[in-house]
Parts: sequence; C-alpha cells; structure tokens
Amino acid sequence: MELAWYALLGLFFAAYLVLGGYDYGVGLLLARRAGAGTGRAALTAVGPFFLGNEVWLVATVGILFGAFPTLEGELLAGFYPVVLGALAGVVLVTAGVQLRGRAGGEATRAGWDRIVVVGGVLAALGWGALLGGLLQGVPLTADGHVAGVGHVVTPFVAATGLTLLALVAVHGATFLTLRLPPADAPALARLARGLVPAALTAVAATTVLGLLSDRVRAAVARPALAVLLPLVVVAALLVARAALRRGRAGVAFAATATALALPAPLVGAALWPRILVATGDPAASLTVAGAAASRPTLALLGWLVLPLLPALLGFQAMCWWVFRGRIDGRAPVYW
Amino acid sequence: MDPLLLARLQFATTTSIHFLFVVVTLGLVTLLVGLQTAGYLTGKPVYERLTRFWGQLYVINYVLGIATGIVMEFQFGLNWSGLSRYVGNVFGAPLAIETLVAFFLESTFLGMWIFGWHRLRRGVHLALLWGVALTAYASAFWIMVANAWLQHPVGYEVRDGVAHLTDFGALVTNPTFGFAFGHVVSASLVTGGLLMAAVSAWHLLRRTPDFLLFRTSLRLGLVTAALAVSALQGFGFAQFGPVGQLQPTKFGGGPGREAMVADWTARFGPGDWAPPVLSSVGLGFMILIGFALGCVWLLLPLLWRDWIIRLRFPLWLLLLGLPLPFVAVLLGWIAREVGRQPWVAYGLLPTAQAVSPVSPALMLASLIGFGLLLGALAVTNGTLLARHAARGALDPALGRPPAPDTDAHHQPVFA
Ligand code: HDD
Ligand code: HEM
Ligand code: HEM
Repeated sequence: MELAWYALLGLFFAAYLVLGGYDYGVGLLLARRAGAGTGRAALTAVGPFFLGNEVWLVATVGILFGAFPTLEGELLAGFYPVVLGALAGVVLVTAGVQLRGRAGGEATRAGWDRIVVVGGVLAALGWGALLGGLLQGVPLTADGHVAGVGHVVTPFVAATGLTLLALVAVHGATFLTLRLPPADAPALARLARGLVPAALTAVAATTVLGLLSDRVRAAVARPALAVLLPLVVVAALLVARAALRRGRAGVAFAATATALALPAPLVGAALWPRILVATGDPAASLTVAGAAASRPTLALLGWLVLPLLPALLGFQAMCWWVFRGRIDGRAPVYW
Repeated sequence: MDPLLLARLQFATTTSIHFLFVVVTLGLVTLLVGLQTAGYLTGKPVYERLTRFWGQLYVINYVLGIATGIVMEFQFGLNWSGLSRYVGNVFGAPLAIETLVAFFLESTFLGMWIFGWHRLRRGVHLALLWGVALTAYASAFWIMVANAWLQHPVGYEVRDGVAHLTDFGALVTNPTFGFAFGHVVSASLVTGGLLMAAVSAWHLLRRTPDFLLFRTSLRLGLVTAALAVSALQGFGFAQFGPVGQLQPTKFGGGPGREAMVADWTARFGPGDWAPPVLSSVGLGFMILIGFALGCVWLLLPLLWRDWIIRLRFPLWLLLLGLPLPFVAVLLGWIAREVGRQPWVAYGLLPTAQAVSPVSPALMLASLIGFGLLLGALAVTNGTLLARHAARGALDPALGRPPAPDTDAHHQPVFA
C-alpha cells in the first residue's frame, strides 16, 4: 500500500515538473526583450493551462501530507532554504503572469517580466536542488530530525539545480514551438536547439559530480537506476534536438517532457526503500514505509482517491483537448 | 529570537492574508453562479455583461489568492513539522482530500472557464462555473474539518506518542465543525454581497452610463448580504454552545476551566495553560460589526422605486461599510485561533512541541520575506480590484469575443 502511494506521489510530482516546467520555461524566455514568443504571445500560449498545471504541485504536497506526514515535516523543514526559494519562485511566477498584462506602460511591463523570470529561475533551481539533495542523503539526529540545513550546500546540489533550470528552458522553448503561430515556429525551434548544448553540459557536469561524491555513492541504493537517469535525459535531449531540426515540434515536446518527467521517479526508485538517507549511518535512514501514514489513513484516502483519479485526469485531458493546437491572433487574451 | 514566536507570527500573518482573499473568492463565486445561470436561462445580455464584469474581479482575486494558499500549504511542513509527525495521520487526511477533491478540480475548471468563452458551448461553460463553485465550497468544507479537529481532536487514539485515525466519521460530525463552517460560509456571502453592493453603489453615485446593470448588481448584492447576515448571526451565536462546553479555557473561561487546567497539569506538567488575554478582545468587536451589518435589512425597503439610489446617502453607507466584514473575519479568526493556545491540537499537542527545529535566523528570514511578499500581493489585489471595478463594465477583458481574423498582432488589451 505504501508503494502505491509512493508511486502516486512520484507521478504527481513528475507531472508537475513537466507541466509547471513549461510555465517556468516560457517565463524564463521573457528575459529576451524581443523576438517570437516574448511578451503577451508567450503568456497567451500558456494561459489556459496555467492554473491546471500549478495545481499538480498543490496536489503533490497534499498527497505528501496525507500519505507521508513524517516525510512532509522532515523534508520541507530539512531543506528549508531550498523549499523557501522554490516557493518564492512559484508565488512570483503566479502573481507576475497575472499582473504583467495589467500594468500600465512598457517599463512597468518589463519590470513584471523580470519578476516572472526571477520566479522561474528560483522555482527551477529549487526543485532541482531538492532532488539533488535527496540523492546525496541528509544528516539525521538521533531522534530522526534532519540536522541543520548546511547539508545542501554542495557542488552536486548546485549542479542538479542548474540542470533542472536548463531542462526547463529547453522545455519551455519547445512548448512555444508547438503552440505559437506556424510563422514563429522556426525561430523558436532554433532557440530551443541552441539551448540543448547548455542542458547537455549541465547533465554531464551533474553526472560527474555525482559519481565523485562519496555522499551520493553511499546514499544511492540502486546505482544502475541512478546512472540510467542522466543517460535517458541525454537521449531525450538529443531526440528533441533532432526533432526540432526536422520541424517535428510534437516529437520534440514529448522528448523534453520525458526529460522532465523522469528525474522524480528515478530518484525515488534509486533510493528505495529509503527516502531520507542518513549520511554516515544508512541504517538510521527514514524509509518510505516508516514515513507513511498508518493503515487506516491510507485506506481511507485510497477509497476516496481511487474512484476520483479518472475524473481528475479526465478533466485535465479535457483542458488540453479544448485548447490544443496553435494560437493565432484571435486567441482569447486574458493574462 | 524564539522560533516558536516566529512560526506563530508567520502563521498568523499568512493565514490572515489568505483569508482576506478567500472570503471574496467564496462570496463572489456564489453570486457569479447566480448571474451566469440567470443569463443562460433568460438569455438576457445584461446577465452576460454582469458575469464578465464580476468574473473579472473574481479571477484577479482568485489567482492572487492561490499564491497565498500555496504558501499556507507549505508552511505546515516548513515551520510545523511536529504537527505532521504527531498528528499527521489524522490531520493530514482532510487536507489531502481537500487538495485532491477540491483544489485540483477547481483550478482545472477555472482555467477552462476563463479561456473557454466563445469556444465552449454555453451549457458546458456554465457547468464549469458550477464546478468551480462546488469545489470551492468543498475546499472550505475540508479545511474547516481540519481546523475543527485542531480545535477539538476526535476520532483518534494515541499509540507510541503518535495519533492514529480510528473514526473518520467523527471528524465530519465534530461539534466544533458544523456551526463554524456555516458561519464562515455566511461570512463569505456577506463579504461578497457587500462588495458587489458597494462597487455598484460607487458607479451609481458617479452616474456611470451603465445604470441598469449596476442597479441589478446593487440589488443582488444587497439581498444576498441581508439574507447571509442573518445566517451569520445565527451560526455565530450557535458556536458559543460547543465552544463553551469543549474549550472551557477559551474566552476567559467557562465553568469547566479549573478542572481542565488541573487535568492538563496532571498530564503535561505545570505550565501556563490559559490563552493570552488578548484573544477574546476581538470577539466583542466582531459581534458589534455583526449587528451593524445586520442593518442592511433596513436598506431593503428602500429598493422599492429605487429610493436607495435616489436618496444617495444609503449608497454612501454601503461604501463606508465595505471594510467592516474584512475586519470582522480577521477578528473572528484571531479569537478562534489565539483562544485555543497554548495548543496546536487542543488538549493533545502543545504548540511548542509542533514547531520545526529550524534556526531562528532562517525563520525570521522567511517571516519577513513572505510577510512582505504576501502583504504586497494583498495591496496589489486591492488596488487592482479597485481599478478594474472603477473601469466599469463596458468591455472587460474576460470573455471578450475573439478579434477579427486579420489581426495577426497581439495587441496589449490592458494598455
Ligand atoms: C463577516 C464576518 C463576521 C461577522 C460579522 C461575525 N463573525 Fe463570528 N467569526 C467570523 C466572521 C464573522 C469568522 C472569521 O468567519 C470566524 C472565525 C472562525 C470561524 O469559525 O468563523 C468567526 C468566529 C466566531 C466565533 C468563535 C468560534 C470559536 O472560537 O471556535 C464566535 C463565537 C462567533 N464568531 C460569533 C459571532 C457572533 C455572535 C456574531 C454577530 C452577530 C459574529 N460572530 C459576527
Ligand atoms: C481552517 C484552516 C486553518 C488551520 C488548519 C489553521 C491552523 C493553525 C495552526 C497549525 C497554527 C499554528 C499553531 C498555533 O499557534 O496554534 C495556527 C495559528 C494561527 N491561526 Fe490558524 N488555521 C486555520 C485558519 C486560520 C485563519 C483563516 C486565520 C485568520 C484569518 C487564522 C489565524 C491564526 C492565528 C492568528 C494564529 C496564531 C495564533 C497564536 O499563535 O497565538 N487561522 N492556525
Ligand atoms: C491553514 C489552512 C489552509 C491551507 C493549507 C490552505 C491552502 C490553500 C491552497 C494551497 C490554495 C490554492 C489552491 C489552488 O491552487 O487552487 C488555497 C486557496 C483557497 N483556499 Fe485555502 N488554505 C487554508 C485555509 C483556508 C480557509 C480557512 C478557507 C475557507 C474557509 C480556505 C478556502 C480557500 C479557497 C476558497 C481558495 C480558492 C482560491 C482563492 O481564494 O484564492 N482556505 N488554499
């Protein structure tokens, strides 16, 4: 039963990284002052999906609280500065996207753009660092609390943060290639392709740092899965680049989405059955089973969620279906 | 500085700001459902225009409110990890249900509703708004179940120092839940109704050309506020029953107070088991405001032959009264939440045991950072609502028909 909930948690977080990922990626691209896919067109492209994307994060934390209460407390408090950064990023993007279009002049609008960019950077860095921090384990006190927050300050965590940032940027550009009017697509595909080498470099650096880190090597229970992760991400990036060159935006988007979907489940699987691995003494680690809520709670939530899940996914799918296709000058502009 | 104090201060700030958004969201969505349904059934254009105008204000408030809600959700883990550790098995369940059953659908529906004008069939579009409203109420329901459990823990047993769920039904039938939920919902309706009436009053005072439109929303807002304020008073007084019985240390103390404190001293050791004196001061003011707002009933007869508009001063009264419900909701929550101190879960988990072992410097940074951020959001929200309300209903961006095909350039609509 714990495994099923753990898988669901992974699914929701992965879906958030994919869907929220292109929101932040598109936000990052607002840093360019001109060209296709800046300003209002970019926001119109994400508009209908924005609220539905972000709510995957809300649901992830809901599942975390309901099904893994102990993990919720230790994870969020134990990674305090990282979570704070990510959270501030999410808030800035949410507010900025909505406020940007309501500002008066060009200058104010540029200011809001900058806020969205900063928010996107913070969110991507934060979630990337959180995954990296999990992979390298945490110092646990005798009573099971994470000791301090100094443990996150390592080159590896910085690298995972930057990697997610790069992936999100590629993903956002690819999304725009898919969504904006056909005339804009080639320029955007070029932009996305240009970002791929940066992402590849980041993945490579992360892999090397991870292999060199004693903490990462000690914490990972299934090295094969941990090594698989960068390989699949690199493969996905290469597929995306090739597809972008051929003008196959759909394939490219599927590839970048895969690159963002995999980190969460593979990190979870590589650490299984532990989740907060104690540095020094792995036996003291917090296991998934140990972090889970007790049986009656899981059963209750299960009975509620099981019948509901098809509806949740169905309405999300309805949203994608209704607003599929490229936007044109006639698309409703609300943000 | 004491991390406990910092964590409490942060909770108080964040929740208060969140709730200012929430009352408007819950109140307006109910009125919007009425407006759009009326438009669907009667086919009169005035209702569609009303839906677009009020919908625009609703959406601004909603989206900025979400940002505050997300901070709320994370705050439990960040600052109150003891809460999830000791009572997460029970308290986590309603919160998880809330996010999955309510928020997930609510946000998905709302996204489609905002962008679905002229794209979806009218019936589907209306159904989406109904979905948004029902899930909004569901979210208020489950969050109040969670809060009521903190006020009066039920349906659990403690094993190895951790609370485990034994009877979920007891959470929903919790005596500190029902009246409180009714009270919160009525408070939201009063706030939403009064907001609608006050904005309409402003336009009528300015003699905006849209007379008929704002006359309609003035009436709708007033009648809603009047009906809701009576329910509000009823639920409010009804709460004294369960609170007095189950939380004898709240509000300066009922008959069971001494026995309760003696019992806690026996179980948890000696300590100061009384809430801060400050906790019940706000209650009196809230009740005063409740009676003051009850006077909207006196305005209802003036709707006859539009006397309320011709006399003008009732419109001014409505404008001046607008801050009152916002003050009252904050006072009410402070009474409820500070009155339960020094417990997070009343009689079960002392607040001091729930706070995360995080360094005070970090907590202070978080308190200041998010305090400023969310405060700025609240101010921005107020300003934007005022500006868009003042702009009138001529052509809100929400639901604007698509531009003609020739327009390949994206024109900034808000310029
Ligand atoms: C528009 C806002 C508003 C107004 C005018 C009133 N209230 Fe209220 N009150 C609230 C909004 C509110 C609230 C913010 O929604 C609270 C906080 C927690 C809750 O359940 O409702 C609340 C709490 C609250 C509590 C505390 C319950 C507890 O501690 O568990 C009591 C006893 C009352 N109210 C009673 C009243 C009475 C007798 C009123 C006047 C006739 C009144 N309220 C007017
Ligand atoms: C319904 C959901 C709510 C839940 C689950 C909840 C839970 C909590 C928790 C866990 C704390 C911190 C621990 C403590 O100090 O006891 C707290 C404190 C507080 N909350 Fe709430 N709260 C809710 C709603 C609200 C709302 C809507 C407001 C205000 C508008 C509010 C006002 C406060 C205040 C003022 C404190 C600080 C009390 C003190 O420490 O003296 N709460 N609440
Ligand atoms: C401490 C408790 C609370 C937590 C953790 C919390 C959490 C959240 C979250 C995460 C959101 C954003 C949801 C989304 O993305 O759609 C939100 C919005 C909302 N919350 Fe809360 N909330 C709390 C207190 C309350 C209370 C007391 C109420 C009402 C009685 C309430 C009603 C709402 C409503 C109606 C929304 C819709 C959006 C809005 O107003 O902006 N919440 N809340």
